[in-house]
Amino acid sequence: MTEEARPESPDIPAAEFEDSDLLRPIVESGVGFRVTSSLLLLVLLTGWVIFGRQLLYGLGVTGLNQPVAWGFYIVNFVFFIGISHAGTLISAILRLSQAEWRRPITRMAEVITVVVLAIGAFHPVLDLGRPDRALNIFTAGRLQSPLLWDVSSISAYFMASTVYLYIPMIPDIAILRDRGVWPHWFYTFLAWGWEGTPRQHAVLERAVSILMVLVIPIAVSVHTVISYIFAMTLQPGWHSTIFGPYFVVGAIFSGIAALMMVMIVLRRVFHLERYLKQVHFDYLSRLLLIMSLLWFYFTFSEYLTAFFGNEPSEMRVFFYKVSGPYAPFFWAMVVTNFLIPVLILSFRRTRTIPGIFIASLSVVIGMWLERLNIVVPSLANPRLPLPTGYYIPGLVEWVMFAGGIATFILGFVIFARFFPLISVWEIEEGRRLSVAETTERLEGYLPDPLPSAPGQPVSEGG
Amino acid sequence: MARQAEPKWIFALQVASVCAIWVFVLGISAWIVHLLRLSHRLHDVPSASVGISIVAIPVFLTGASVLTYVFVGLQRGRQAAGKPILEPEEG
Repeated sequence: MTEEARPESPDIPAAEFEDSDLLRPIVESGVGFRVTSSLLLLVLLTGWVIFGRQLLYGLGVTGLNQPVAWGFYIVNFVFFIGISHAGTLISAILRLSQAEWRRPITRMAEVITVVVLAIGAFHPVLDLGRPDRALNIFTAGRLQSPLLWDVSSISAYFMASTVYLYIPMIPDIAILRDRGVWPHWFYTFLAWGWEGTPRQHAVLERAVSILMVLVIPIAVSVHTVISYIFAMTLQPGWHSTIFGPYFVVGAIFSGIAALMMVMIVLRRVFHLERYLKQVHFDYLSRLLLIMSLLWFYFTFSEYLTAFFGNEPSEMRVFFYKVSGPYAPFFWAMVVTNFLIPVLILSFRRTRTIPGIFIASLSVVIGMWLERLNIVVPSLANPRLPLPTGYYIPGLVEWVMFAGGIATFILGFVIFARFFPLISVWEIEEGRRLSVAETTERLEGYLPDPLPSAPGQPVSEGG
Repeated sequence: MARQAEPKWIFALQVASVCAIWVFVLGISAWIVHLLRLSHRLHDVPSASVGISIVAIPVFLTGASVLTYVFVGLQRGRQAAGKPILEPEEG
């Protein structure tokens, strides 16, 4: 709600401007926001109550047991951290490659990272019977343990992603400040004195350039390190040299799918059809198709190696997945991660926005199943001579899962209430500068003209 | 039309937030160094800890440095344009 008239920003006039509709969810939020956030808060609160019960009675209230001590919580941890690759990594790659179509996408992608990373990072704490003991890592942590590598890499990624989200948001925050949007002090505080001067623009661009280079290796390292939690053990099905890249590919794959789902939903809810056009979905869906093929290649290599080796403990895990109790989940994973997206995205006729939504939803479900297929079967069939384990998630895990998803949606709802989901200043900058810059760049790609003047013969000696 | 300067308390809050980032980053760095010393004292594969520390600490320091650079740069950019950072004293 606008409270007071503010003088105009040097970048964007205070009155109605071409991209005013990007600020509409902020200045005109109403009943929809309150109802949605209340419902989501209710789900979240239920999750916390259930977690409180788990704290009181211990992990016995879950379906976790011996030897399957990691269930939904670790599956969701890996899944959510994977989704987080949607944002900062994709945004950084698109910025670095100067892909002009990135402009309406990057902000949403970056928000996904920050929100989902926070949710994912909390899941290992849920998996602890005594979460208070997690504090022992401050005094007696073992830095040579992959678990602690995770703590440091996820913290670093969270920090870098938050900074990477915040810094390009400063000019937009200044627009909200200058338009007197409530809470005015909050926007003044976050705008950091932005006036849109050339020097400030230069500082901002330099900082974003440093961050986008920094963020890519961190993002890759995060999911590699997560794979090390599994790969550094001698458990059958986990001890694999390709787990690092396999996890990174899976993370980018699920990240792109989640990003497209978010884009399609927000496009409809906030009427962003002018900004999120078919071409954006078309480009991202081609990327999703490539990732689907790449995922299949990695999966095939991973399972073929295990099968060909014919090592007894590996084979127990293998058959547990392909023809045992986990066969429905395994084959559902193959169908949702490979068959459905490839069939939908390969043909122009089905590569429509509803088609892309179905393909993306299929991939998100499939990647969750993939995490389930990695975590549970190996624990149920340990290398030690123990009877085969089982895992049936209890109500507690399902409620906590719902709480995680509710937190994700709530994070977006709250963000959209206070900040533009599409970068206003970058769109405006694109309109002003992109065409000229892109033309110049394209001319740079073309072969240089011949040194002689047109119409004159070229001598062989130069 | 020029925008009004910020109230002093908001500027103080901004400076405090940048300082808080440094407290966080230096805290994490100190923690990593503590774990490194611990592994050395216990002869518990200190080489692995050194490897992680070499990667982790500079990442945190770079993040905080970029934030500080942006904050200082924006204030200087504002001053260079002839705009005061703080609102003038009344009276």
